[in-house]
Amino acid sequence: MTESPRIDGLLRRIRGEIRRRRAEYYGLRGAFWGAIAAVGVLLAKHGIGSAAPWIAGALVVGGAAAGIAYGLARRVGRSDAARVADRAFSLEDRVATTLEWAERPDRTPLVDSLVADTIARVDALELKRVVRRVVPREGRLLAAPVVVCLLLAVAPPIPLPSGRLPDFLPSGEEEKEERATSSMLEESSRPIAKDQTKRSSFEERDFAQRAGGTGATTTGDLSAIFKDTSLASQRPDFNSFMKKGDERLRMLEQVDRLPDLQSDFTNNQYKMVFRKSKSLTSGLRPDQISPQKLRELLEEMERLGRKGGNNWSGDAMEGMEALEGGQPDRALDAMQRALDKMRAMDEAQRSGKNLRGGRESDRSGRGRDRARGDGAGPEDQDFGEGEGLMPGRGRSNTPKGEATQRLRSTPYDVGVEGESRQGRKEGYDTNLTGRGGAMASRLQYLGVIGQYRKQMEDAITREQVPRDFHDQIRSYFQSLDER
Amino acid sequence: MNRDARVEAFVAAFEALRVEVEKVIVGHREVITHVLTGLFAGGHVLLEGVPGLGKTLLIKTLSEGLELSFSRIQFTPDLMPADIIGTNIIVEDPDGRKHFQFQQGPIFAHILLADEINRATPKTQSALLEGMQEGAVTVGGASRPLPAPFFVLATQNPIEMEGTYPLPEAQLDRFLFKLRVRYPAIEELNAIIDRTTQSRAATVSRVVSGPAVMSFRELIREVPIASHVRDFASAIVMATHPQWEKAPEVARRFVRYGASPRGAQALVLGAKVRALAEGRYNVSVDDIKALAAPALRHRIILNFEGEAEGIDTDNLVARIMESTEAATAQSREPFLR
Repeated sequence: MTESPRIDGLLRRIRGEIRRRRAEYYGLRGAFWGAIAAVGVLLAKHGIGSAAPWIAGALVVGGAAAGIAYGLARRVGRSDAARVADRAFSLEDRVATTLEWAERPDRTPLVDSLVADTIARVDALELKRVVRRVVPREGRLLAAPVVVCLLLAVAPPIPLPSGRLPDFLPSGEEEKEERATSSMLEESSRPIAKDQTKRSSFEERDFAQRAGGTGATTTGDLSAIFKDTSLASQRPDFNSFMKKGDERLRMLEQVDRLPDLQSDFTNNQYKMVFRKSKSLTSGLRPDQISPQKLRELLEEMERLGRKGGNNWSGDAMEGMEALEGGQPDRALDAMQRALDKMRAMDEAQRSGKNLRGGRESDRSGRGRDRARGDGAGPEDQDFGEGEGLMPGRGRSNTPKGEATQRLRSTPYDVGVEGESRQGRKEGYDTNLTGRGGAMASRLQYLGVIGQYRKQMEDAITREQVPRDFHDQIRSYFQSLDER
Repeated sequence: MNRDARVEAFVAAFEALRVEVEKVIVGHREVITHVLTGLFAGGHVLLEGVPGLGKTLLIKTLSEGLELSFSRIQFTPDLMPADIIGTNIIVEDPDGRKHFQFQQGPIFAHILLADEINRATPKTQSALLEGMQEGAVTVGGASRPLPAPFFVLATQNPIEMEGTYPLPEAQLDRFLFKLRVRYPAIEELNAIIDRTTQSRAATVSRVVSGPAVMSFRELIREVPIASHVRDFASAIVMATHPQWEKAPEVARRFVRYGASPRGAQALVLGAKVRALAEGRYNVSVDDIKALAAPALRHRIILNFEGEAEGIDTDNLVARIMESTEAATAQSREPFLR
């Protein structure tokens, strides 16, 4: 004996009821999320236009419909329905057991009695709704997004920021502009090819030169990142500006690649010593000065003097001896003498470089003014901003000339620093050719020879010259003196 | 006799036996029902309770209601296995020749009352093991079957533990149910006083025969059980094991060893008896729930924390059952699955 039509009808009815409840449940959930999406659409009503309310309504209805469809489409098992019937009508698992055992081959004799008993009980049932309604959490919250939707639908559109600056260019130019910007970004995002022939210090100087404002840049140069000139003449593009800013921020993280402007151009060793001495002695009597700090400063001065072969090293030594003898006032006097000599030498050097701040520079500036008034030639005029002297070749685009090749970059590179390099630094090319050959020399012969000799001694001390050449070089300079 | 008639006969016998017992025993309806359930399920029952609650009287009354032989063994520390099983004794025949003859012990009875079973030594307690499980005993290399039906009803006192030998787990597992005989309510106590202090004692009639019991035992096994009900029983038993990955927190915390497969068998068999005794042809989840405590309470061994905190195994089983029911699909809304 199998199940009766009555049991089958009961199960069909319960399955239908479960489907309806599921449809309600998932329909409410779908409507809620559709309403949430509709709120977003209505917020963007300004951009979407008059279709926004219709889209919002479609989202709510569509969400509900999708939920209902999902609820209706989900399968309801007969055993599940049987268990629901057993619980709802207090049938004590009779229907579920009947369904399971009615068709089993190993059914026991009691199963027939069970089936008959179940049919009799199901026949006697008063059918009622057995699946209770479950309202999901989304259903309880559904009113909120719906109300918001209605308010937004009635309210005027909310203007939203466009995210672009006003368009100053015609459309044809805009396309061209975008292409240019993208290529510019590509260039800046490319890995920067490092010039192997340049020392890192000179790379830093390259950055500093751009403060002068010259527009010339080279491919692979980091100047493309630091310059605004490419953007300055073009229509402002907010997006590219942001991307550019990102590139700059990334560069700022690479602190080792940034030029140290202060140490390069405003501070030299002598200035640092001046500054230290000033901070040490400011407002204090000699007996109030820390002997330890004074000793350290004198040692540093002595070291600088010894290193550069300068004449204040003796004063610094005298100061240190006085300090050890318990005479800080004598030590301070010695330090002051050493500082004076140091300042004098620094000014002399600055005058030699035509840098501002040197006494010689002031004097020569005044002399130039006079000469200009006398109708002097263009060679006597100072270089323009951002330009420098290329010895023997006239003006250079860079204020300090071309970078020197790194010494000892190859095993055969044993030249003296400043001897054979290009550009202008502390050494001078004596092979004057071309335009520079017509220039009148502004340097004293003895001064130049003195500087060369000093550099020669430095190079020999730092063992930059092979030992076999030392005597030869010294004899060469001696022959110059004799001349 | 058609099937329904057999079920009706069982229901009638079950009810008649209960009525006969209740003529003597006041209250303890649930204990009586479970004892009868154990009888028809083919298991043995351990009754635990303080002295004077009528445990022994209940069993004696039950034996009087059945047309079955009855033996009673008072377990004492000096009781020996041979005192239970029997022994070979030398007998002299009329010809004057002597030979060994097996003298049956008290175990050879249909209903055996092992009174205060925890007072005997484990050696003697173990003498019951083979008989309870196999329905036979081995003496002198010869296996001797016990009469069928063989039904052991043991009692033990939970408070006088001094000088006692608590039953080992292996023997506890042989009992289908462990029933707790609780103190009667005041109305029941008044009824006990009235019945036992009057001159006229109640007489118990023999209402069920031994073959009938055996027939009912076969009928019980025909009762169908739905898979989801069986799964529920299995899940409950598995949930008593702290090592099970889905074991509830209470089992993990307080249980050292969970119930054996015999526990699941006892659960389902008892549920079948209960269903049939109620005139139902199938096992329901409620049957499983009703039999969970008597079938599992003696099969769960608490760990140190459980013992130290005085965890009651009945409460433990109830909590395990709740968590199992919540974990299974029984209590969930079908349309959300």
